Amino acid sequence: MRIVVCVKQVLDPDAVNNYAVAGRLEIGADGKTITQSAVPRLMNGYDEQAIEAALRLRDAGADFTLAVVSVGSDPDKMLKHAAALGAEEVVSIPADPAQLDPHGVATLLAAWIESAGGADVLLCGRQASDDDQGVVPALVGERLGMPVVSVARAVELADGTLRVTRVTPEGDEVVEVACPAVVTISNELGDPRYPAAAAKVKARRVKPAVVSPGDLGLGDAELQPRVMLTRQFVPEVQGNCEFLEGDPAQVADQLIARLKADSIL
Amino acid sequence: MSENAIVVCTWSAGRDGLPEGCEEILHIGRGLAGAVGSDLNWLALGPLPASAGEIAGRYGVTHLHHAEDAKLDPAGSDACVAAIAAYAEAHAPGALLVHQTLEARVVAPRVAGRLGRAVVMNGISIEAVGENVQVTASAYGGDTRAVYEVGGGSVLSFIANAVVPEPAEGAAAVASESVSLDLSGVEERVRVVEPANFEGPRLDDADIIVSGGRGLGSADNYKLIEELAGALGGQAGASRPLVDDGWVDSSHQVGLTGRITRPNLYVAIGISGASQHMAGCSAAGTIVAINRDAEAAIFQYARYGICGDALEILPELIRAAGAR
Repeated sequence: MRIVVCVKQVLDPDAVNNYAVAGRLEIGADGKTITQSAVPRLMNGYDEQAIEAALRLRDAGADFTLAVVSVGSDPDKMLKHAAALGAEEVVSIPADPAQLDPHGVATLLAAWIESAGGADVLLCGRQASDDDQGVVPALVGERLGMPVVSVARAVELADGTLRVTRVTPEGDEVVEVACPAVVTISNELGDPRYPAAAAKVKARRVKPAVVSPGDLGLGDAELQPRVMLTRQFVPEVQGNCEFLEGDPAQVADQLIARLKADSIL
Repeated sequence: MSENAIVVCTWSAGRDGLPEGCEEILHIGRGLAGAVGSDLNWLALGPLPASAGEIAGRYGVTHLHHAEDAKLDPAGSDACVAAIAAYAEAHAPGALLVHQTLEARVVAPRVAGRLGRAVVMNGISIEAVGENVQVTASAYGGDTRAVYEVGGGSVLSFIANAVVPEPAEGAAAVASESVSLDLSGVEERVRVVEPANFEGPRLDDADIIVSGGRGLGSADNYKLIEELAGALGGQAGASRPLVDDGWVDSSHQVGLTGRITRPNLYVAIGISGASQHMAGCSAAGTIVAINRDAEAAIFQYARYGICGDALEILPELIRAAGAR
């Protein structure tokens, strides 16, 4: 059995949030790229949880090879982390993310998966915390003819069938699907583990395999973006907050009175 | 056959018998169709709600296309994807619009993948630019807006909950036209073995929501949020950290990865106002914020603010709300 996890490097969303809330997020001269050099780059949190989901399958006794793959320009730190956690294969597909749309990323991932022995289970984060689009897993699933199960909080595997607990607005739902299948992981899965110190040291020497788009027989024609980011901006927020003053009993009475006067209550 | 029409796709009825967000997404569709001078059509999959024709009339729908099939009642995602893709191949729409439910988050990109079309999620607004359209979408958990340009025939998913639909009252109802889509080859590959069984009111339908965040200090204090929600006749919500930490279950989570709500009154207590959270409540009629930190982002969104200790203010609010 072979499990593939796709990971993406993103700007730290908490740092972006801090700058945005403070009104100091810098967008570059192109009008769309966040240029703050102080914002760290790290593995998308949901993708980290997708690796964790694979490791929990291994903890539960499943026997598989774990491959972690990333499309992007600077994946070595993420991939070494994945190796330290127990990925037997770590693969970099070098490409400039700004030149690719989700179809391009999905085309590269699907082509690599097909060329590298397929995937019985493809685990991905539910979305990337930068663009929040969350479409690559479904696009890869369509390309490979695999069903897609989204927003998993728990994944189990028995006899080639996945049992997935999904987080829905109506509460948890349990579904079953035969492998091969794509499963996207939600934050409810819980915290990902850290690698053991010895494994981290060993993983420093790991060199991710590099597979270029050309190696996969893909060029500009196949990777032509259909979705173009033209602009990015920080939305303006109306600031007209009226602060209520006084002791707790006074502010409580004032608030209820205001809401009644506004016909909200 | 009406080529280049803007097509709103709906499936699976919500609680009131209508597909979730259908008026909101029709409202967005009407705007786009008007801007590009195309028809607005509505592709309704599965059982057709009795009021669909009237609603179609109120939003200027030209053709209400209805596809019925045992595989669309209820609609599994394989059947949905196959039906929408077959429809798109036969009718060559100018754009396919969906309201972004949890299922749409998978169906929309799968349809786009099958058709080889562009797909944009998290849309907030849309504008026609020559032959193309520009979709303004939420990114970075709501911290930024990304404007994407795509060509004709794209699949576009909107967070339509935040839209206030404007039906044209008194418009004539539209008769539904049956369309036949071949789903004979579809076998649902994903099988539900334990359905979700959440009962009771949903946050999405709430008129008043009182939400708590990390500022409550500990899980035990969440009961104060529930008490205040009860006293105001509303429902209790929570920010994502509380769900991640297991204080409350995820049906209470307000935010981009939780419920996107539009209550008349949203009371945020001990919530900093991270964009991820605000994406789920910023469309509320009135926001009240209680936070110890006067600089918290939540106050930028709030109409009324109280700077102080939530645990001291909550009991007084429960008293005042109960006495009103």
